[in-house]
Order: sequence, then C-alpha cells, then structure tokens
Amino acid sequence: MTGFRRYLQTVWAIFRKDVQVEWRGRQGVPVMLVFSLLVVFLFNFALQLSPQLQSGLASGLLWVTLAFAATLGLNRSAALERENDALNGLMLAPVDRSAIFFGKTLSNLASTLLVAFILMPTISLFFGQNLLKPALFLVVILGTGAYTCLGTILSALSIQSRTRDVLLPVLLYPLALPILIAASEASRGILSGQTLGELQNWLYLLLACGILFTATGLLLFETILEE
Amino acid sequence: MIEITDLNKKFNTQSVLKDLSLTIAGGEFCILVGANGAGKTTLLRILAALVRPDSGEVLLEKEPLFADPSLRRKIGYLGHQSLFYGDLSAWENLRHYARLYNLSNSEEIIRKCITQSGLTPHQHKPLRTYSRGMQQRLALERALMHSPSLLLLDEPHSGLDQDAANGLDERLRQLHLKGCTLLVAAHRPQRLLQSATHAAWLREGQITDKVTLDQLSDIPGLDSYIREVK
Repeated sequence: MTGFRRYLQTVWAIFRKDVQVEWRGRQGVPVMLVFSLLVVFLFNFALQLSPQLQSGLASGLLWVTLAFAATLGLNRSAALERENDALNGLMLAPVDRSAIFFGKTLSNLASTLLVAFILMPTISLFFGQNLLKPALFLVVILGTGAYTCLGTILSALSIQSRTRDVLLPVLLYPLALPILIAASEASRGILSGQTLGELQNWLYLLLACGILFTATGLLLFETILEE
Repeated sequence: MIEITDLNKKFNTQSVLKDLSLTIAGGEFCILVGANGAGKTTLLRILAALVRPDSGEVLLEKEPLFADPSLRRKIGYLGHQSLFYGDLSAWENLRHYARLYNLSNSEEIIRKCITQSGLTPHQHKPLRTYSRGMQQRLALERALMHSPSLLLLDEPHSGLDQDAANGLDERLRQLHLKGCTLLVAAHRPQRLLQSATHAAWLREGQITDKVTLDQLSDIPGLDSYIREVK
C-alpha cells in the first residue's frame, strides 16, 4: 500500500509540476485555445453553410479541432521535458517509470479538456447547435482520455528524434483514427437526439481504446524512455 | 558498491561499450578518464539507470540495478544538463525533486541546498535567468538533496568559475570523507588528484586500467594521460 501511495504521489508531483510550468510560461493552453478558436472562426466564415448543414458539421469540427489542438499541447509538453534534459530528472525518481506516463497523461488530458470545455460553447454559438449536453461531456472525456494516452506514449517515442515535431502527428493520426471516428459518431448521435444506449457500440470502442492505450503506456513507457 | 560485468551498449551500429567490466568499492572516489567519445557519459548514464545496456550486468550493492526502481534513491547523478525547468525558480525546481524523492523535511533540505549553492538572493527567479555556472551549482545540490550513497558526476567542473570549481573540489572531498562513493568522469582530471583514491581509464569502450592513485606511476600511459591532458 505504501508503494502504491508513493507511486500516486509521484504521478501527482509530475502533474503539479506541469501545471506550475504552464502557469508560469503560459505557452501551452493559450496556444491551443487560440488555434482552436481560429479554426472555428475560419470554418464558420469560410464555408458559409446553411444553418441545417452547420449543425451537422458541429461534431466533426469539434473532434478535428480537438485532435489538432491536443497535438500542439503534446508537442509543447514533450518540448518542456526536452529542455535541459528534464525528462532524465523524472527518470531518476525511485519509482516505476509508468508513473511518468500517468503524470504526463494527466496534465495533457487536463489541458485538452480545458480547451474542449471552452470550444464546446463556442461551437454552439457559431454553429447554432447546443453542444452543452451531459452525454457529450462524457464522450469528450472518454475520447480525449484515449487520445492523450496514445499521444503521451507517441510523444515519448518521438522525443529523441530530430524530426519529432513532424513525427508525432504522422504517428498519432493514423493510430488515433478509431478514437476520432468513434468520438465523432457518438457526438453526432448525441447531437441528433440519440440516447447513450443507442450509441453504446461507439462508447465501448472509446472505452476499449482508452484501456488499450493505458495498458500500453503502463507496460511499455519505461522501455520507450530507456531506448 | 557497483559491480559491472561484460557491459555492452551500441547506438545504432556503433558500439560504444564493449564487454566493459568494472568494480567500485564503497567509499571509493574514482576518476573516470578517457578521450572524447570514449563512452564515459554512456557508462555514467547506464549507472544512473537512465539507459539500459544491450547486455551485461550492473549490480548496485549486490542487487541488479534495473530490477528495483527504489535502488535509484541511492544514486545521485549530475550530467551535462541541469535537468531543471527554465520557467520555474530554484526553489520550485528543488521542491519538485523533493516530491519525486518523497523527502519528508523538504523545506529545510531545499533551504540548505540553496544556501550551499550560494543562490539565496536568486532563489525565486526563473532558472532561465541563471548563468551556466549558477545552474551547475544548483544541479549539484539537486543531485545531493536525497543524500545518495553513490554520486555519479559527468564533467562537474564545466561552466564553473575558479572559485566555484574550488568550492566543488572541497565539497567532493567532504562527501568522500563522509563515506559517499564517487565516480567522476573528467576530461581534465588533474584538479581531482588531491582528493580521489582511484583512477579508471576508459579506452575504446573498455576499462583498460583501474588503479589507486598511489599506483598511478605503474601505468605510465594513464599517469601521463592524467597529468598531461590540458
């Protein structure tokens, strides 16, 4: 029990450190937010769709914007650990290194969710459809959870590469396709009035992706870091 | 304290360490010398459990280093980089490390570390405003804050001015007197000769010689290497 408590303390220490660095530097979340809002503005004014088509676009736009914004956040989070070799400092901690995975995933998830929760009312405003539904919040949490788990693993994998900024999206987007498809379909269903029961297949897929990528991080993160 | 047997490490196709074996007893102060690219940094990174070797065994106090994460508590490591976050202050960085090591009386330890590094007036400024030497002094305190029994230092004098370098020499001497085991990689090791007890020569991925400093003259190549490299 003491060992597990110690493990959770390390996860929390890494999360707190990331929040503190973000608060001091303000280089992650503001960039993600500005990017996301710009995408919504651009789509709204560039496409000039009828209100009916606009409402159909909302779920797709939410997930495409979130995927790109989260990638910006993941790159920033990896850059933070690259500076002064700070990642090695985390690796020196006397606990299992999967704690680094959970700490980083938690902070990446927090920043992505913050952006999502600001993005949802903004899309509602511009695209004339209410996205502020409890069921949609559940889908957003499941989808961004699975996406940031996968993204954290891949950003650790690409951190040592010279082409890391390009490598992360190239690796991430194809592998995240099941998450993005399931999240978009579930969101579309909720916005068109379907119940969670009717969308359970998509929700199970999101849950399965989350479990799969969490287990992958738990098992492989140490090996990825040491290589 | 450390027993290394038949250690091998390759990066891509380049072999950096080849069947390297080395034993460091508890309480030794060993200088690790070798030319640029000899593998000193790789060896220290493996001993700090930051890099996994391709093959071979590393035992720390008779236990496999990579088997038990808690063994890393016994190790203090100072590499080429400070391992700090530039946006955080000295205090915040050290507090983060205190949390990672789960130190109980962290406030007191952090205060002591900052005082020891001579950075009290700057303790709340972001690290990115510090000079290389100031960061190096703080990084040494970071490596020592959890009272490790094995200290691994990679070119610790780099970036330090004369006074700070002398202070570091004295600090290392005191740590050694307290029983800490030290392995210090140094490209220019002359200044450590007064306090070190052993020297190990890393050439082409292997430790070719390891002697006490009293026996240094028995290995003319190593003796002249240590005394003449400038």
